[in-house]
Amino acid sequence: MRRNDLLAMSTAAFFLLSASAWADGDPAHGRARAQMCEGCHGIADYRTAYPEVYPVPKIGGQQAAYIVKTLQDYRTGARKHPTMRGIAATLSDQEMADLAAYYAGETRK
Amino acid sequence: MNTAPKRLPLVHAVVLCAALTCTTAAFASDEVGKKKADAACAACHGPEGNKPITPETPRLAGQHYDYLVQALTAYRKGTRDNAVMSAMAKPLTENEIRELASYFSRQQGLATKR
Repeated sequence: MRRNDLLAMSTAAFFLLSASAWADGDPAHGRARAQMCEGCHGIADYRTAYPEVYPVPKIGGQQAAYIVKTLQDYRTGARKHPTMRGIAATLSDQEMADLAAYYAGETRK
Repeated sequence: MNTAPKRLPLVHAVVLCAALTCTTAAFASDEVGKKKADAACAACHGPEGNKPITPETPRLAGQHYDYLVQALTAYRKGTRDNAVMSAMAKPLTENEIRELASYFSRQQGLATKR
């Protein structure tokens, strides 16, 4: 019984730790991959016309983990936007982390 | 009797009143937004939406007004799903959404990065 508890606890701890361990993003790799983002996110006040007209969000200085989570949500379809879903589907976890590290980092003017 | 000198100050007064009303209205709206933001949003997104308490909580300061309106409206409608944000957005009126979006969009924070 006690051994089972210990096993359950260490298993839980393992999953918690592995879930919180993001792949380390490399901002330089992210910079190279960001070409696909710049067409919309790199233009001040750019507006999407589809599916609804509104400005694409500013992501310079955004939290890295939030960017990764958002891309993952687009990939799974949990968050819906046709363009972003298509783009997120092409990205690996490492590429998401790299892009997030790049956009979260210091903003150049 | 010449009435021109009397009419001129009146015109000035009207213009001045109109200008004051405009600025007061703008301030009032931002004040309301700030009050609401401090009470409801700051606990997670930080003061001015600039210091989120968890890595997965987005920074809001400086985000586009229209984007913030879109996000809050989507949470309220249920087209964007997040347990906390859906609950926060549900009771908001359209006016409150606009006030919050206006407040956060005026803070220094996020930027367009190339």
